[in-house]
Amino acid sequence: MSATTAPIRVSTGGLQKGERLISWAMLTPFLIAFVLFLVWPILHGFYLSFTDQSLTGAGGDWVGIANYLEALTDPVMWGSMGNTLWFTLLSTVPLVIVALVMAVLVDRGLPGQWLWRLSFFTPYLLASTVISQIWVWIFNPQIGAANALLAKFGIAPIAWLQNPDTNMIAIVIATVWWTVGFNFLLYLAALQNIPAQQYEAAAIDGAGGWRQFWSITLPQLGPITALIVMLQILASLKLFDQAYQMLGGVSSDTTRSIIQYIYETGFVGYRFGYSAAISYVFFALIIIVGLIQALVTRRKGQ
Amino acid sequence: MIHLNRRQLLTGAAALTGAGLLAGCSPSSTPSGAETLQFWHLLSGGDGVTMSGLLDKVNASQDAFHVRPTVLAWGTPYYTKLAIAGAGGRAPDVAIMHATRVGGYAPGGLLDTWDIDRLASLGVDESTFSAPIWDKGKIGDKRFSVALDAHPFVLMFNTDICDKAGVLDSDGNLPPISSPDEFVEVMQAITGASESHGLSYGYLGDGSQMWRLFYTLYTQHGAEMEFPQEGAPVIDDDAAVASLTFMRSLLDGKIAAPQADYQAAIAEFATGKSGVLLTGVWELRTVQAAGFPFNAAVIPTMYGTPASYADSHTFVLPHQAQPNEHKRELTYQFVADLLKNSFDWATAGHIPAYLPVTQSPEYADLMPQANYAVAADQVRYDPPAWFTGSGSEFHSEFGATAQPVLLSGDDPGAAVKKFRDYVTRQLSKPNPADPKGVWKA
Repeated sequence: MSATTAPIRVSTGGLQKGERLISWAMLTPFLIAFVLFLVWPILHGFYLSFTDQSLTGAGGDWVGIANYLEALTDPVMWGSMGNTLWFTLLSTVPLVIVALVMAVLVDRGLPGQWLWRLSFFTPYLLASTVISQIWVWIFNPQIGAANALLAKFGIAPIAWLQNPDTNMIAIVIATVWWTVGFNFLLYLAALQNIPAQQYEAAAIDGAGGWRQFWSITLPQLGPITALIVMLQILASLKLFDQAYQMLGGVSSDTTRSIIQYIYETGFVGYRFGYSAAISYVFFALIIIVGLIQALVTRRKGQ
Repeated sequence: MIHLNRRQLLTGAAALTGAGLLAGCSPSSTPSGAETLQFWHLLSGGDGVTMSGLLDKVNASQDAFHVRPTVLAWGTPYYTKLAIAGAGGRAPDVAIMHATRVGGYAPGGLLDTWDIDRLASLGVDESTFSAPIWDKGKIGDKRFSVALDAHPFVLMFNTDICDKAGVLDSDGNLPPISSPDEFVEVMQAITGASESHGLSYGYLGDGSQMWRLFYTLYTQHGAEMEFPQEGAPVIDDDAAVASLTFMRSLLDGKIAAPQADYQAAIAEFATGKSGVLLTGVWELRTVQAAGFPFNAAVIPTMYGTPASYADSHTFVLPHQAQPNEHKRELTYQFVADLLKNSFDWATAGHIPAYLPVTQSPEYADLMPQANYAVAADQVRYDPPAWFTGSGSEFHSEFGATAQPVLLSGDDPGAAVKKFRDYVTRQLSKPNPADPKGVWKA
């Protein structure tokens, strides 16, 4: 690598006219893609939600807010919304806590850090189809590893994915195993940014391991925890592929996510307009969650 | 002003940049001058291999056309793509659909009708099909589909195990069974001679599989279901509860495993651990490959009315904005050819719909297919509605209500009520293929 450094222009606010033109020219391709593939679909989808457009090409007439009225009184829509929120709660808590515990254990001088990092993070790299297949095998009531383990404790076989009492738990377990590595890496990076001097000073003052953890580590991790919680909530709200694939086609009242319902309504039931309306109801929910999150973190910041 | 559509523009561009180059890419098996017919289907596995063989035969037998198949994944992916292709007016020349799905497509204008006279001139008419299969292709007085086969839900049995159990007659058939109690008695005898369970029935996580057995039993009560758009569903609660209760009673851990999925049940039977398998005829090749002597029969009539759940693979003409009359002509030719050559299709287990095939002496010798050919006269399709049919959400919704009964012994009456509520809700929604309800067949 060359050691020569290009002179860095410190922005003094305001660009020359030529520079402004160039920056617009460089932005244009992105802007076109942004409008074509994001802004336009969002607007068009919003328009569709006021029509009875069918995937089969039929319909397309303006029906006003009929789709929204139907959505608000649709028990399956609310059930799916509830399942999604329930999954978000059930998965976010372990995905934050387990990631923290794993990161602290690895950071605190376990030998062979690279091995732990690799093994905790690898599942995150696998496709959801692979994850789903692995866990369908593990949860198979007759030949699966989960029931084989329970049998050692004399517990009768459980139909994990088929029993409405256990299928959400099974999906949460698979999801935690799959995605915890990402949060783990974020925590690990944050932990390594805490200056060692703080721990040394605390040790001199006679603070033990737990004291150090509560008084130094946790407070220092505050900002990253807020970030992880927010990212995790948004990720969990998007529950679809692993649940859909693990349940193998049987809709379940206890696991059907809102995205699955949008998919079923639009692509299986062909009701595109209604499907679009549900997705905008969900969009509104995400915005509300985001606003609450922003309010909470701002208050903390003050 | 010259008005070009996209295809013409592309064709022109291709011609300018060297049509010879592109022509060089077409399959070498295409005879020069032959029209290429685009054919979409959803047949994979053993069915796909059989269909490939049939197409090779048809392609080789004449020079007028060459059929190019496109195979898509079974279920939602296939039907979504077919709908979009039809809606866009760029549909294939001919496609396979399940007979039960046609009703959800026809009102939307996604399908063109078959000309009955033109079919008759090629030897395909009412007299060459069993009545229920021929009638299923009609909506109102228009013909939207021509059936290739019927594929019912049947019963296969390991003749070694059943012989050991002492239940077979001298011809190697199961004894006559006319009530649920007799069925249970025979199954118990077979269970005694089996290594694991007497009966293999996989259903976990598979709504279609639950529906197939349920609707066989339900229709044997002499009842059918009717789902009139914007009306109340007609469901015989007593027959439905009796059918679910009986299904549950078989899954007692002795006769059949209480928690088996589709693959586990096939594996149990194919490895010779159980005596009887409840399955669709499409698994025939799998069982043949297992290498033990077996036989097959329709599911015995236990409630008075002979009935078997079934669906049919049918040929449809997806709507084309500007159909090429010459290609249409050849498409009729192709479908007639394939029907007449559908004896090979029977080797995959299906019952060919074309009667001259199933009434031939060769078919009578084809075992065990000939033993269940009677099912073609007693087929029961899904109740017609836009949301029912093979690979539909309806099947998975039925599974979601039936599964807790079969798995945990939940109240069948409550399950039937929940199922009725679901159907009522679907019927109150507009038909997406006909949101205004103006379509008349």
